[in-house]
Amino acid sequence: MNLRNSTESYGIIAQTFHWLVALLVLAQLGIGLYAANLPVSVARLRWLSHHKSLGLAILALVLLRLGWRALNPPPELARSMPRWERLAALATHRLFYLLLILAPLCGWLYASASGLSVNWFGMFKVPDLVSKDRELAALFKALHIGLVALLASLVALHVAAALRHELVLRDGVMRRMLPWKPPSGD
Amino acid sequence: MPRFLLVLLVSAALPAAADECYSVDAAGGSVSFELGQAGSPFRGAFRRFGGELCIVQSQVARIDVWLEPASVETGLPEIDAALKEKEFFDVGGHPRIAFASESVQARGDRQLARGVLDIKGKRRNAEVPFRMGESGGKPVVSGSFTLDRLDYGIGSGEWADTRWLGAEVKIDFSATLSRR
Repeated sequence: MNLRNSTESYGIIAQTFHWLVALLVLAQLGIGLYAANLPVSVARLRWLSHHKSLGLAILALVLLRLGWRALNPPPELARSMPRWERLAALATHRLFYLLLILAPLCGWLYASASGLSVNWFGMFKVPDLVSKDRELAALFKALHIGLVALLASLVALHVAAALRHELVLRDGVMRRMLPWKPPSGD
Repeated sequence: MPRFLLVLLVSAALPAAADECYSVDAAGGSVSFELGQAGSPFRGAFRRFGGELCIVQSQVARIDVWLEPASVETGLPEIDAALKEKEFFDVGGHPRIAFASESVQARGDRQLARGVLDIKGKRRNAEVPFRMGESGGKPVVSGSFTLDRLDYGIGSGEWADTRWLGAEVKIDFSATLSRR
C-alpha cells in the first residue's frame, strides 16, 4: 500500500488519519456522555479534563487531515454509483469535516466561557477563546451538544452507507479505506 | 513664633486622634478567589461580606471581617451548590468565615494584619497584607493573600487530592469603608 492515495485506494496516511479520528471521536463521545452525567466530583473533573484535551487533539488532527487531503485528492468513487449518491457522498464528507471542526471548537468556547480553561493533558495551558460569560457558556453548551448529536447521526449514516457498499452493492467503495483487503464474497 | 506653638496649631487642625471605626461595604467591593483546577486557574467570588476596621492615631489598629460562604458565585450553578456542601464550606454548620486581627503593622504604604482566620471552625494564624487607598472620597481597603485550603478542610474526602484541585487559594479583596 502506498503512502499517498491512488485512484483506487486511500494511502497509508489518509487511512491513518481516518481510523485515528474515528477511534478518537468514538472514545470522545463515550467520555463526554459519561462525564456530563456524573455529579460534581473528582472523577467528573478528571474525565472532562481528558475530554477537553482529546477534543483539541481531534481538532488538530482534522486540520492536518484536511491539509493532507488538499495535497492528495481522494480516490474516485465507483463509476457504478448514480449521480445522486456521488452528490450525497460529497455532501456527507464535507459536513463531516465541518462538524469535526465546529464541535470541538464549540467545546473549547464552552470551556472558555465557563471559566474552566484547558490544560492540554497537563502539559501546557491552552488559551481561552472568550472570557468568562454565563450566557455565552449556555449558548456554546447548546451548540456543542447539538453539533455532537449531528456528528453522531452522521457517523451512523456513514457506517450504514459503507456497509451497504460492501455487503449489498459489493462495489469496493468501503475497501478503499481498509488497510487489508478481505476476500470478496464473489 | 516658637516652634512648639506651631506644632500645637497644626495638630489642632488635624482630625481628632480618637478611635475611628468604619464599616466594610460589600457594595462596590469584592472578595474573589482563584485556585487551580486540572492545571488551569478557576475563579469565583463571595457576594456577602462585611466587618469593621478601626483607626487609632491615624494607624489601622483593628480589623474584624466576615463573609458568608453561601454567597459564593463561580458562574457555574452546579459548582456553587457543591461548594456549599459539607466537603467544602459546609454553609449549614458554618455560615460565616471570619478574620480578626491581633496586630497591625504599617510598613510604608503597605500594612500587615496578623490574626486568626476561622473557616469551618478551624482557627489558624494568618497574615494578611493590605493597603489603604481612597475612592470617591471614601477610604478603600484592598489586598491579597494565599492560603492552603487543606489547612481549613475545604475540600475533604476525595477533594483532598490536590492533583485535580490545587491546594493553594489566592484571595483578592477590595472594599470601601463607611464611617460608623
